[in-house]
Amino acid sequence: MARLPKFRTRTTAIIIVLCAIAFALPIVVAAAPSVSRQEVSEGLTCQCGCGLTVANCNHPNCEFSVPVRDQIDGMLGRGMSGAQIIAYFRGKYGEKILSAPTTQGFNLLAWIMPFAAIAAGGALVVFTVGRWRTNSPAPTPADEPAAGASDDNFDPELRRRLERELRDRL
Amino acid sequence: MPLIGQLALALALVLAGYSVIANVVGARASIPALTASARHALWAMCAMVTVAVGALLTSLLHSDFSLEYVASYTSFSLPTIYKITALWGGQQGSLLFWTWLLTVFTSIVAFQNRRRNPEMTPYALAVLAGLAIFFLGMLNFVTRPFELLAVIPADGQDLNPLLQNYWMAIHPPSLYTGYVSASVPFAFGAAALMVGRFDDSWIRSTRRWAIFSWFFLTLGNLFGARWAYEVLGWGGYWAWDPVENAAFMPWLVMTAYLHSVMIQERKDMLKVWNLVLIGMAFGLTLFGTFITRSGVISSVHSFTQSGLGPYFLTFLILVVVLYSGLLLSRVKQLRTPAEFESYLSREAAFLFNNLVLVGIAFAVFWGTLFPVLSEAVRGVKITVGPPFFNKVNGPLALALIFLMGVGPLIAWRRSSLDSLAKTFASPAIFGVTTGVCAFAAGLREWYVLTAMSLAAFVLGTIFVEFRRGVSARRHMVAESVPVAIVNLIGKNNRRYGGYVIHIGVVLAFTGIVASAFFKTEVKKSVKQGDTFQVGPYELEYLGINTTETAHLESARARIEVRRNGKPIAMMEPAKLFYKRLQQPATAVAIRSTPASDLYVVLAGIDDQSGLATFQVFLTPLVFWLWAGGVIMALGTVIVMWPNVRERAVIAAAVRAPSPMEGDAQALAGGD
Repeated sequence: MARLPKFRTRTTAIIIVLCAIAFALPIVVAAAPSVSRQEVSEGLTCQCGCGLTVANCNHPNCEFSVPVRDQIDGMLGRGMSGAQIIAYFRGKYGEKILSAPTTQGFNLLAWIMPFAAIAAGGALVVFTVGRWRTNSPAPTPADEPAAGASDDNFDPELRRRLERELRDRL
Repeated sequence: MPLIGQLALALALVLAGYSVIANVVGARASIPALTASARHALWAMCAMVTVAVGALLTSLLHSDFSLEYVASYTSFSLPTIYKITALWGGQQGSLLFWTWLLTVFTSIVAFQNRRRNPEMTPYALAVLAGLAIFFLGMLNFVTRPFELLAVIPADGQDLNPLLQNYWMAIHPPSLYTGYVSASVPFAFGAAALMVGRFDDSWIRSTRRWAIFSWFFLTLGNLFGARWAYEVLGWGGYWAWDPVENAAFMPWLVMTAYLHSVMIQERKDMLKVWNLVLIGMAFGLTLFGTFITRSGVISSVHSFTQSGLGPYFLTFLILVVVLYSGLLLSRVKQLRTPAEFESYLSREAAFLFNNLVLVGIAFAVFWGTLFPVLSEAVRGVKITVGPPFFNKVNGPLALALIFLMGVGPLIAWRRSSLDSLAKTFASPAIFGVTTGVCAFAAGLREWYVLTAMSLAAFVLGTIFVEFRRGVSARRHMVAESVPVAIVNLIGKNNRRYGGYVIHIGVVLAFTGIVASAFFKTEVKKSVKQGDTFQVGPYELEYLGINTTETAHLESARARIEVRRNGKPIAMMEPAKLFYKRLQQPATAVAIRSTPASDLYVVLAGIDDQSGLATFQVFLTPLVFWLWAGGVIMALGTVIVMWPNVRERAVIAAAVRAPSPMEGDAQALAGGD
């Protein structure tokens, strides 16, 4: 009987590892290298007026996205990198062809603002909670949460009541 | 029919106006007969708008092209189902449909609260009727669905081919239901501020409405994604398009609200924040409508652009200013001594969950509007597309998933490090082990590794929580594990339904991450009888079948799919040509399995060379996005399921004096 906890721990560990493998397996099997054309064409905005990226333009015979996708295929075939291809199209069509703001000048604001807002919000939460904590009454031993508390001195009557209510609620 | 419809809309507008006045005057002067009359006026308003919807539907079904709307969005040959869905396929019709939903929900609220919430209900109904006045005003004076044509055309222009899809039969109604039902908690929040009810009675009164709204926003977003997946033909489902963003933002804020109200219900904290959140959620639904209809930002989903933008913008600003003013005027009274003991508590986890959810909503809002800002400041209208949103929201999504694992298991008030270690040890080991196994197997994408580990961690925490509950039940009452699980969920449906929703979110997240990172694409031009390889599949092009109906022509390719030499499926991607509109469209073929989706698009046919060009995507685990969505919906149904004990608690609260104002009547709630 004394060996039971060790046995259970080992069994639990094995179950956890097996479950982890089972959960990881489908993604690992699926993890083929992503297609560069998709990545590159997601970085370019279609100029047909659809407002989508070259990868996502839904016009079957789009006069812009269809030839550009073929062009990207050709460029990748010649060994050009994604950045080089995007730079080529930016040189040809200007900034409007990029599907994300650059990280320079005014555009930098696009990237900074969301994180700045979250940082400010986080600071506000920490500040407000800090003030609440200062104002809160000091915790008493009775406030200790059940999970971490010892139940040696638990009132038997209270225990009976707790069990009765648990039975009703669960 | 047009005359009946227009007359009904005019009467509805008058009734809405009367209802606002009668509700407010009746409540202020304490004249129950007047508030009852206002309630009856709302029901009559709903009946009138229903008549108008019936009139437009009848005209659509009978192809009455004397109506501009019918002539613009249907044709004789349009299948009947799409004549019905054309009701929300165009500007005026969709606005009428929206207004109809609003009046139906208003009527239900008026009925539910006819003997409850006497203090707040008249004001909440006045707010809802005020919203109806705006929409009815638009329908009567700005964008009339019953506008007649001077010359009746022989046939209509037909419905946009992209809208001729079964997902369009359910996607807009779901999304509109989600948008419009958010008005109810907003109206009660505003009413609580007006009458000075500063307890959580407005939250309890509208809890089910808020969940109902979240449920339909979830479905609306999912159906829209599925529509994009099946119709747009680029192998994806989400492009961070402005209209998609506009639907996503209220969902995020409503999710934050549903978590945050738990703190107010439990600890009487965050009163101002909850009122801000519901105001934001409602404001964002109006913002979404503004984006869809104004044309200020181009969108693939925007089929109803018009000159309504300025009206919606003005109304949005008016609502924001009035609500903010009301809130600011009550801030002092809303402040209560907050008790907060530790950052290691559920309250803290929920606060940070709110921060991240609202942070993502802000990032989406900012990215959506940045092109307009850039044009105003620099004169250059740039595009903010998927690369931006993925880079900004990717890390935030990881933080959110982490908090989703931590929040439900950590104790209220404060938790000790010991108890945290005990609670989270197994899930954490499971998460880390998953990541290590994936790494050992050769996965090197850090984002995917982290996402998988966190997803496993969350699933582990939910498992621990279920196991704990089942053990407790089995200890108290001798019953089998399946029975214990069912009883556990049945008796604590809010809590365990929430966990089911979390399981759905984790599965959907896993599907999104895997499909975003590991989608592969093959483009091939082949002759009849040629084969080509896509991942483990061998595809053989067997030929083209062409068919023609009065409505459209189609060229349907036949492709036999084999795996290890064995035929497993016949796929038929097609090119369609809509005769009336002279527009081509694509019909994709999808073979979906839990492991991956094989997605085939017929990109082109060259009649001279006989070559057919196929674009084929192999998308891993995308199945789990949709399965996760179904599980989220199931979890929401569990949460909303009537609970006898909860009703007893509410009834007891009604009998007892309210802890805050001594008026517990409102606790009876309208849900």
